[in-house]
Amino acid sequence: MRMLTLVLTAGLCAALLGADAAQAGDEPGKTKADQACAGCHGPAGNRPISPETPRLAGQQYDYLVQVLNDYRQGTRDNPIMSAMAKPLTDKEIRDLASYFSRQEGLTAKR
Amino acid sequence: MKKRIVLVVAVFLVSTCAWGESDPGRGWARAQMCAGCHGIADYRTAYPEVYSVPKLGGQEAAYIVKSLQDYKSGVRKHPTMNAIAATLSDQDMADLAAYYDTNKGAK
Repeated sequence: MRMLTLVLTAGLCAALLGADAAQAGDEPGKTKADQACAGCHGPAGNRPISPETPRLAGQQYDYLVQVLNDYRQGTRDNPIMSAMAKPLTDKEIRDLASYFSRQEGLTAKR
Repeated sequence: MKKRIVLVVAVFLVSTCAWGESDPGRGWARAQMCAGCHGIADYRTAYPEVYSVPKLGGQEAAYIVKSLQDYKSGVRKHPTMNAIAATLSDQDMADLAAYYDTNKGAK
């Protein structure tokens, strides 16, 4: 019984701490997206400045990871995107992909 | 002389308009070959690497045309997309882009 209380208390503390961290912390990827991507892809990647610039909002997470990796490695080439992707870390790529994939936008149109 | 210039300009404008015309209806017919992958939410390519195919609904028209041209020319590489884009004319690409770009007037 004592053990159970201990476990429950620990669980509750962890949950509260987690909630705090989520509130205090920034949404992963958002700051970087606002700084680095929004200038061309628009706020939340949903209003590109030119029709040759893709909309990112709602795009598939693992597709975005793939594309950023391709630009970083040079497998895919674009003067702007290659330069943007070069300095990104794996975590930054995952966070950006996660952020854009969670925005409302693109659909799997049939 | 002036008349002739006006005529040349007019003919040029009309011809470029006709050439650049895209039709989402024709695009829909063409898009049936895309739907097998892009029309299925969370569909994943298996080759050469495994990841979800991109969503195209709502994508910018000029970006779609550019991507298809790059797949056709081989500048952008994906075996399946290279093979499919090789069969598309400029008109097909414009029609497909018009079909997928549903944002006309939304901006």
